[in-house]
Amino acid sequence: MVYVILKSGISSFLASLGFGFLFNIKGRNLWIAGVVGAIGGACYKVSLYLGCSEILSNFYGALGLALASEILARQCKTPVTTFLVCALIPLVPGGGMYRTMLAAIRGDAQQTLNMGLQTLSIAGVLALGILLISTVMRVYYQEKRKYLSKK
Amino acid sequence: MNIEKLLNTIIEAGTMLVESGAEVNRVEETMVRMCRCFEGIEYADSYVTLTGIMFSLTYENKTITRICRVHTGEVDLNRIDQINTLSRSICTNPISVDELANELEKIKKMSRYTFKETMLFGAVGAAGFGIFFNGTLLEIVMSFFIGILIRCMSCFLSKHKLNSFLNNAISAGSAALSAQLIHLVLPQTNVDIMVISSFMLLVPGLAITNAIRDTIAGDYVSGVARAADAFLCAVAIAVGAGFVMYFWI
Repeated sequence: MVYVILKSGISSFLASLGFGFLFNIKGRNLWIAGVVGAIGGACYKVSLYLGCSEILSNFYGALGLALASEILARQCKTPVTTFLVCALIPLVPGGGMYRTMLAAIRGDAQQTLNMGLQTLSIAGVLALGILLISTVMRVYYQEKRKYLSKK
Repeated sequence: MNIEKLLNTIIEAGTMLVESGAEVNRVEETMVRMCRCFEGIEYADSYVTLTGIMFSLTYENKTITRICRVHTGEVDLNRIDQINTLSRSICTNPISVDELANELEKIKKMSRYTFKETMLFGAVGAAGFGIFFNGTLLEIVMSFFIGILIRCMSCFLSKHKLNSFLNNAISAGSAALSAQLIHLVLPQTNVDIMVISSFMLLVPGLAITNAIRDTIAGDYVSGVARAADAFLCAVAIAVGAGFVMYFWI
């Protein structure tokens, strides 16, 4: 378990950090983007390890990274996308795309459809996770502001 | 107050934001918020899409409007962050239009990471994906080198103004080719892991994220445009790599 967390955390940290450089993030935000990516990757791999399905694990990963980036972005007063873009990339179903393509080349229509559907649903689930968290957080911060101003 | 200059400066800020890959909602909001910080502006409104900006403001009962065509530029999240900070700060302590233009010019001139740095860290990212997909040490090292190749390739092609579809296809094809060649020399390596982990460098992460965020915010025009962009990019990668893999199967 600890091994899974460490391995997935470090690998997705490196991956998100690499993308931080490609997207030209500077200073402290670069490292935070890496950490948010590590949280997302670790959530995904741990839920896989605990026996969740591929799609459900992706959903948990998306929830984890969206929550982390919303909270940290408000702390650092920077746009949420700064962290979200880099952190999401490890979860993008690149492997699924690749296998769909391979099946298509082999001429195996059944397998192509299977893999293609699986890839599309992973993408959809990632979108759903981000959508859910960003809506919930917006409502939460609005209510909090209202509550504080009433006081 | 020089109202034309204000309009042009605000449009300039919006253009920079769209080019650097900000969400449409943020661009519209930032432009209007910046404008409202100046005294005497009675009305300001903006309509932004991925390819163009329309902005109008009313000052002393006179309305002026400008339309601006935007071309997609290189993703630069630091610039978005800086403009965001600037728009926050001018709301609390107002500055003149000339000062605002100067600040924007300063942000525009901020340096990017050099080619060597992005190449190195892109390759580190590819190696990270190698670990993420449970590769062996050899495969991880090889993904690192294929990552370097992909970065060089896509930088070289975009310098020669090749469109992004062909750019992605050719980069992906060369990555698949080199993975197959490495597999020929070192038969114990797994082609799939090397190809997937270096591919991830081409994945349209920003387009996917922004497609989601624009759609949630209700900017369907930009949301659908970004989703189409992401899909086209994925197809390009698959076509490029598929072309190469076809000869091996």
